[in-house]
Amino acid sequence: MNDNPVLRIVAKIIIPMILIFGLYVQFHGDFGPGGGFQAGVIFATGFILYGLVFGTDALRSAIPAPILRIVIAGGLLLYVGVGVATLLMGSDFLAYNVLGSTPSGGQHLGIFLVELGVGVTVSAVMITVFLGFAGRNDP
Amino acid sequence: MILASTAVGLLIAMAFALTRAIKGPTVYDRILASNALGTKTVLIIAVLGFLVGDPGHYIDIALMYVLIGFIGTIAVLKVSEFGDLGQTQPVDSEPPK
Repeated sequence: MNDNPVLRIVAKIIIPMILIFGLYVQFHGDFGPGGGFQAGVIFATGFILYGLVFGTDALRSAIPAPILRIVIAGGLLLYVGVGVATLLMGSDFLAYNVLGSTPSGGQHLGIFLVELGVGVTVSAVMITVFLGFAGRNDP
Repeated sequence: MILASTAVGLLIAMAFALTRAIKGPTVYDRILASNALGTKTVLIIAVLGFLVGDPGHYIDIALMYVLIGFIGTIAVLKVSEFGDLGQTQPVDSEPPK
């Protein structure tokens, strides 16, 4: 598929739009449809399109597997870390109110960080699942 | 009224595309039909947004459907042509009919 000019150019045009839209869904999630999981899937879709058009080897060299593993664990660590931080600040697990100076500000910050962790983890897991399925026949 | 009749027309077009996707003799008929079905789905999501009176949110969903549907079509085409998702060259030389 790498030698098909239409597909190659369209992919190169559309991949940045997919990534931007994924970030929009991530950060606009409290005002519209969206959230961490959906944003992670959309963000991973850009990489999956890259892997489809340019081959899984190009995708693997763009995101090496060790980095994917670190990112998967890092997103979960961010999620649980917010919960432990609220525990250490003297409240319940994932009770965001204590994170900021005002309860509303604390909830903004807490939900932002938790959704960021979810999005990062889901994105990396989706890319790993695609590589696992698409790379079965790799030499 | 205009929006409701537009939605009904789109549903009829989707039924035709679905019929072709189920009956289609070759794989290319099915891919074209599913592509047309995806386009109609995007349009009906936008129409539904204006019917409900909340177009901003629905158009976000329609945009996302465009992007994801394009990738789905490419994935199906690649599997039907190469028999594999990952390779950039055909795995077996015989493409499916």
